[in-house]
Amino acid sequence: MAEPRGPNAAHAGMFPNLRRDVAFPIVGVGLLFGVFVAVGLLYQNSFGGAGERLVTTAMINAIIVLGIQIYVGNTGVLSFGHIGFGAIAGYTFAIFAIAPAEKIKRIPDAPLGLTDVDMGSWGAVGVAIAVTVVVAVFVGIGLARSGAESGAVAATVITLALLFVTHEVARHWPELTGGERAGLSFRIGGKLDTRVPIYLALAGALVLARLFAQSRRGRLAKAGREDDLAARAMGVNPMVQQMIALLTSVAVVSVGASLKVYETGSLLPEDFFFFFTLLTLTMLIVGGRNSVTGALFGVAVITVGRELARRMGQDGFEVFGLGLDSEPLDWIFRENLQTVFLGVAMLGFMIWRPKGLLSDWEFDDWLYRRFTRTQSAPPVPQATMSDENEARLEVSNVSVVFGGFQALSQSGFEVSSGEVVGIIGPNGAGKTTMLNVITGLVPATSGQVRLNGKELIGTPSHEVARAGLVRTFQNLRLFGSLTVRENVEVTRLVAIAEHDDRSTPETDVLVAAAGLWDHRDRRASELDYGNSRRLELARAAAARPLFLLLDEPTSGMSDTESLAMVEQVQTMAALVGAGVVVIDHDLDFIIGICDRIYCLDRGSVIASGTPVEIQADPAVQAAYLGSSAS
Amino acid sequence: MTELLQNLIDGLGRGSIYALLALGVAVIFGVMHLLNFAHGELITVSGYVAFWTISEGWSWYLVTPVIIGTAIVTSLVIERVAFSRVRGSSDFTLLLTSFGVHFVVSAIFLLYVSASVKTFSEPGWVANTFPVGSLNIEVYDAVVIGVTLVTLLATSWLIQRTMFGLALRAAAADFDTARLMGVRSDTVIRGAFALSGLLAGIAGVFWLMRSGHTTPTVGITPMLKGVLAALIGGLGSLRGAVLGGIVLGLAEVLLRSRLPDSVASLTEGFVFLMIALLFIFRPQGLIRVAHAERV
Repeated sequence: MAEPRGPNAAHAGMFPNLRRDVAFPIVGVGLLFGVFVAVGLLYQNSFGGAGERLVTTAMINAIIVLGIQIYVGNTGVLSFGHIGFGAIAGYTFAIFAIAPAEKIKRIPDAPLGLTDVDMGSWGAVGVAIAVTVVVAVFVGIGLARSGAESGAVAATVITLALLFVTHEVARHWPELTGGERAGLSFRIGGKLDTRVPIYLALAGALVLARLFAQSRRGRLAKAGREDDLAARAMGVNPMVQQMIALLTSVAVVSVGASLKVYETGSLLPEDFFFFFTLLTLTMLIVGGRNSVTGALFGVAVITVGRELARRMGQDGFEVFGLGLDSEPLDWIFRENLQTVFLGVAMLGFMIWRPKGLLSDWEFDDWLYRRFTRTQSAPPVPQATMSDENEARLEVSNVSVVFGGFQALSQSGFEVSSGEVVGIIGPNGAGKTTMLNVITGLVPATSGQVRLNGKELIGTPSHEVARAGLVRTFQNLRLFGSLTVRENVEVTRLVAIAEHDDRSTPETDVLVAAAGLWDHRDRRASELDYGNSRRLELARAAAARPLFLLLDEPTSGMSDTESLAMVEQVQTMAALVGAGVVVIDHDLDFIIGICDRIYCLDRGSVIASGTPVEIQADPAVQAAYLGSSAS
Repeated sequence: MTELLQNLIDGLGRGSIYALLALGVAVIFGVMHLLNFAHGELITVSGYVAFWTISEGWSWYLVTPVIIGTAIVTSLVIERVAFSRVRGSSDFTLLLTSFGVHFVVSAIFLLYVSASVKTFSEPGWVANTFPVGSLNIEVYDAVVIGVTLVTLLATSWLIQRTMFGLALRAAAADFDTARLMGVRSDTVIRGAFALSGLLAGIAGVFWLMRSGHTTPTVGITPMLKGVLAALIGGLGSLRGAVLGGIVLGLAEVLLRSRLPDSVASLTEGFVFLMIALLFIFRPQGLIRVAHAERV
């Protein structure tokens, strides 16, 4: 059915901007692939057989590292378990790929009649992906339940437990895995006869990793990575994005693991355990975990560094053929130097450069900026939206008790579209708690929050936002390492998916309207205080809310800035056709902007009315100035 | 019934060691928000010290204080060299820093000693048992449980009744505010690492007495037990860590004796699986630590 959709409907698909998010990444990734392979071929031509093996291994490692990057980079959750997934895929692949005649020697009594299964290598890769993805669904549910977010400790331990479970099973279930010593070995060809499958898989992993990062899902995942709570308040459900990232990531790792097993020609529990976890994570961290370019770069750097360390461990400076005397350093040039190198690299980067060499720099992003003319003049905000969406928010009889402290008692307010309603009150009056209740961050002890008659109490945060109530934060919760534009764009992506029948202002229009045009490509974390506040406003407006809920938008601002903020709030609300609820204790600001005002004190509404009425109210004066005014 | 009682005592012995390890992990998590994947390295280092001293003919009575001292010093050195440089970093950085420390320490032993297993003799009384009614109690288990009890009581006194303990608790509740109130961050963090080292040292003595060997990666298992037990209990809760250790020890012993022989070797796998399930249904662990995020 071809419903007429708004002018932005095309953008509601997987990619916000086809040129920036698909064309350039594919070209950029193609060039990276070319350079990586060319350097590899050059190296192996100069070093012969050993060099060839090193390059093949590096490429397979790159596939696995890129797979890990898709999850760790986009969600910020540190996973020690991806090599555990690799073990599952590797064993599945081996068991399904080895010819029955070989299997009879190693695992004659495999359960489920697996000894007699003969799938061939290609089929076995498919089975490996399928089995691993199914396991990942369960692990993913566990991660979601544990409250996985950027740097979450419980999530990391769950992934670590997965690594150990797979290792224990591999060691102690010899009927299936060949056990600890014998392992599984086979000759499907020993080494791959051709490198074509590896090239294909590497190119595929690069494209997939890069496109995922640029896709709508990837962008939403990154918002969750930057600030889980703020992402929810903008209507993003990070759990969904994390699950999609995990499954994509695990599929790529499965392919890499299968290739690793095929190439090695044998499989022992140790092959996919602590050391390989260290190796792949170091590659990812050193290059830059948030960047696909970085991940590939890290693989190259660590491969070269490790090889150098290995050879210097054997031959000292003779590796360079310079005739340098390596005797004084004999205490360093020893066997196993490469392991020290890996540990020191990881530790050193964590201490001095935790974001890695490239941080979140992407090659194709650089190309895009270089070869795309950017509009230099700020776009003029178009005429206001036709205000068809009459809405009404009714908050009534809300009480909240924290332990023994009554933060709110029987409080409420009402607001309709087109209105600006203020809530004032001294510190501790319960203003922010009120917003937290409405947006689902704090459970109410009793009371109702109704949007157009629909009860919102008990609705999760991200659904409240999608229903049309979007907030800003008093203590600033921007997506720090995303640019100003990206901050706005992420929320806009949610809005487009929700209301694709309504036109939503373009990202640039919102950025310009907030007075941030000159800072549009800067990271949010680099903005000063006032601009950060303005970005919070623009980001919330981009969600196309029915009501903007502003938590102290002028806190910490000078008087002139506060005045400018009055205008910006009005512009922004008109631009998206939203009503406004604003909390502040700056009376001048509130009076300058509001149609009606509610005054809270110690959890209760003590007065409400027009600004003039509120100013004259003795109870308000008492609350603000102390009892002497009463 | 007898078998169950026997299991309970075995599990309590094992769980006591885990509790000491978990308590050390929880103390550091409290002050630094760092989940210490390098906690097992204290036992690795102690293991080599035990190997060297015992091959010199030292008796276990002499070796014991040396091991505990080594663990404390190692803990402080690791703090100074690595963790003091990442204080206040993101959780992601802290996690990987401790992972990195684990690898550097084990790689150093790989480089300068070798990957091979180094064995040393256990004290003669480790395998002795004495009968209590129909039970056969190992001297080792009795000593472990007794010493752990004393250590926990002493730690509890330290944390509840001394200025250092007060500073530690204040720092765990709110590090920045504690600093503003005059708690010296260096002192409290180093103190926490010393305490963690002491606890790991005592656990290490028992661990090494039983195992009688060391390798560069010998610390992984105790680290994992300590970290998991601290998480089972609810990270940040010291009581939870002790409880988590005991629960983990009991679970292992009971599972191993109850599982059919064909899958008994997979006990560890089952334990990990149970822990994963625990986190799914009770993500905050057994004891919930109030932790409100201000918005």
